[in-house]
Amino acid sequence: MFRLHNLSFRNKILFSTLITMFLLSAGIALATRWVLVRNMTSELELRGIAIAQSIADLSRSYILTRDIPNLVSLAFDAAQLGERKPLIAYIFIVDTQSKLLAHTFTRPFPEELLDVNAVAPEQNHSVRLIHVFDNPAYDIAVPVREGIYQIGTIHVGLNKKHIDHLIAKLRLTFLGLISAIATIFVLIINWLSKYISKPIVQFTRMADEISRGNLDVQFDFPGASAGKTASSPGREKDLDEMHCEITCFAGAMRSGRTDAPPSPSGTRAGIPSEFLFRQPVGDEVVQLAEAFNNMIRSIKLYRSKLRESEEKYRSLFDSGPDPIFVLDRATFEILDANPSAERTYGYFREELLGKSFAELVPEHTEEILYNFHCREEPDEETLSISQKVRTYRKGGIPFYVNVHACPTIYRDRPAIIVATNDVTQMIEKDAQLVQASKMTALGEMSSGVAHELNQPLNSIKMGSEFLRMMIEKEGAVPPDQLHTVVDEMSSQVDRASEIISTLREFGRKAELVEERLNINRPIRGVFALLGQQLSLQNIHVVLELDDALPPILAHNNKLQQVLFNLVTNARDAINQKRQTVGNAVLQTIRIRSFMENDRVAVSVSDSGTGIPEHIRDKIFEPFFTTKEAGQGMGLGLSITYGIVRDYGGDIEVRSEEDVGTTFKLTFPVHPVPAEESRRR
Amino acid sequence: MKKILVIDDEKPTLTMFRLFLGVYGFDVLTAENGLEGIEIFEKERPPIVITDIKMPGIDGFEVLRRIKEMSPETDVIVVTGHGDMDLAIQALNLNATDFINKPIQKAALDAALSRAEERLKSARACESDISVRTVDDVGIIDILGNLNSRSEPMLLEAYETLTREGRDRIILHFDRSFSVNGAGIAILIQLLTESKKRNQSVAVCGLPENLRKVFSMVGITRFARIFDSEGDAMESIRQAGSGN
Repeated sequence: MFRLHNLSFRNKILFSTLITMFLLSAGIALATRWVLVRNMTSELELRGIAIAQSIADLSRSYILTRDIPNLVSLAFDAAQLGERKPLIAYIFIVDTQSKLLAHTFTRPFPEELLDVNAVAPEQNHSVRLIHVFDNPAYDIAVPVREGIYQIGTIHVGLNKKHIDHLIAKLRLTFLGLISAIATIFVLIINWLSKYISKPIVQFTRMADEISRGNLDVQFDFPGASAGKTASSPGREKDLDEMHCEITCFAGAMRSGRTDAPPSPSGTRAGIPSEFLFRQPVGDEVVQLAEAFNNMIRSIKLYRSKLRESEEKYRSLFDSGPDPIFVLDRATFEILDANPSAERTYGYFREELLGKSFAELVPEHTEEILYNFHCREEPDEETLSISQKVRTYRKGGIPFYVNVHACPTIYRDRPAIIVATNDVTQMIEKDAQLVQASKMTALGEMSSGVAHELNQPLNSIKMGSEFLRMMIEKEGAVPPDQLHTVVDEMSSQVDRASEIISTLREFGRKAELVEERLNINRPIRGVFALLGQQLSLQNIHVVLELDDALPPILAHNNKLQQVLFNLVTNARDAINQKRQTVGNAVLQTIRIRSFMENDRVAVSVSDSGTGIPEHIRDKIFEPFFTTKEAGQGMGLGLSITYGIVRDYGGDIEVRSEEDVGTTFKLTFPVHPVPAEESRRR
Repeated sequence: MKKILVIDDEKPTLTMFRLFLGVYGFDVLTAENGLEGIEIFEKERPPIVITDIKMPGIDGFEVLRRIKEMSPETDVIVVTGHGDMDLAIQALNLNATDFINKPIQKAALDAALSRAEERLKSARACESDISVRTVDDVGIIDILGNLNSRSEPMLLEAYETLTREGRDRIILHFDRSFSVNGAGIAILIQLLTESKKRNQSVAVCGLPENLRKVFSMVGITRFARIFDSEGDAMESIRQAGSGN
């Protein structure tokens, strides 16, 4: 069975045809032989019987008269007549007493023949195979009757060898005929199988060539040559046209143009069918050859497109300004890295390959790659974006990047493509902008702060002048007065230094690392700087701070800046309102800190002018300001928004014109780290 | 004992004032805000009031305005933030008699208090007294008390007299009791501008420290040099004259 499978197609056809032919011929031969032998034998027997009966008719009177010489000549005449001679072995005539009357034997009559084949009275003839002088013969006995009496018997011996010879000759002729037909048949099959299998062999060879990458093969088949030679000179041109056509077509598809030139009907995958399916010329093999050629051309086309695309992406990978890594999805091992990655990270390619990506982003590995790690088969659409991730170049020098990661397959392995975009400069610029706006705020605050500082300085100055005066007078200072003065001076120094430290903290550039802090701390800090100023402007400040709030992760001075922006905006809104309603109405700024939906919330409400509906969605845009030129850059709320979002926070605004505005900030609670809570 | 009212929103400052003024022998009344201060003033009518300007609620200006309304002769000394001359001039416009800068120095406080007492002694605090004398060709105008819009004719007359006599060197001598308001400053500037046109050289003397600052700020120093004493002024103006 196995061997049968391995046979070539051509041999399969050949062998199966031969076997079929052989079996068919054998069957026909056997059937013919059976029919022939039977019919021939019985036909010759009938002939023998007819001869015997004619002898019986003629011999009747001779038997009655016992005319032996006539009987003998009758027998010889009958035996020698025409072509009977080889058939008839002998004739003999006996009477009823089995007495031999005449015979045609040229040698002494074998006596055993007399009784060997007797005819029963009711029979008209009897046939028996006997042996005469060791030759087989059919003995046919026919009775000679005169009226109802039998007067003798005619025996005609038919030569069995002759009969067999005839049959053999017939069979030979027949077999020859069948063989001739079979041979012709085999030749035809052979040719046909060659006709079919030759192109198949060629297809196979060509497919092998194609697999080896050689696309410059051309199907060369006699039947296919007519169509091919006509089209071959323009082949390259065809290809180009086809390419162009495809590109144009794809372009049109992409841009969704409906006015694109009508494409040939029956487009498949964007390729006009006329390029692939030509008018069928010739038989199926020729068509197959033509289709094969078309297939090669389209493979060539797609290969060139693929190569183009590959080159395009390769050049993107190689010349892209951002570092790109290909990571193993299971181990995060770096499988490939582009030159920018080498440059940016300061490693040679050889050093990068095989290194774990986790070494480059030790603090953020989980965050970036968790999506891919936990799922066996991530959706191709999965795109993980992490912002402001700290990463390290060779030698442990940190810098900040935005990371984009998406799954892919790289050399049959599930992989991740990670692109890192250096945003250190952007972060620094951001920080500078925040700092600049803070400095503006500080400038704005300066008069308030100067006043605030002047108060304790004034008391201290007066205290010290008092003491000096008393010393100069050389009068004894009453102890209670001395006590009062010294206590007061000391507490005023504390007050001044607290103002200065708050101011310094506000002005300091924020650290890059956040701290855990209670939201009430920056609120109190801001009011240490602004409280006096607000009360001098007759703005009532209400602080409702929940002291049991959990910590959040943020920078104290950035939050101070946020609150400063919100509170000064509130102040400005109130002062603006005063221009219309006058100073008589008590104006309030209310700050609350509280828990809301498991988040820490701060709200800053004022009773000012409110924000008109039509600008409410613009207030967080940078450089948007309602204040007069020179009063502000319009960056306060936009920076506020940026800072709050950086801490995972949210800002909500509720405002009603002429009633007031409430800004609500919410921040996620920062859980106490596990090890720290254990230590407690 | 002389009554004095101190209004300041800062408790520690009040404490210090109480100690200081107590040693000076005043009966010290204190108020923590403007409203309370006005109430106490109405009840006690102290001749001298010291008030802070920046206060929540009713501020120092409002206190000054109401007290001057009730009693124009009361000596009101305002306390301003250090170097805040705008506020000082604003206060002078509201007829504050004097001002002290914060942080308060003993010398400034002493000066302000002694000048206030002088004004009170002269009992003409709200009126000015202008006289003219001549020393060695130099015309001297003595200015006492409060220089304001009401004193304009007198000052103009004194000036006219000197001009008629052909004096091209003039000294403005301000008495210790001198106080000035915005209108008075405007008149001074006007006169000095004219002097310059007439080619008269003018010197100023006798100004307390705080008013010198105000005068230099409003630009009087462009027309006249300021000296501590009359002698210095005389010497300087003579040299200038002989130089001419």
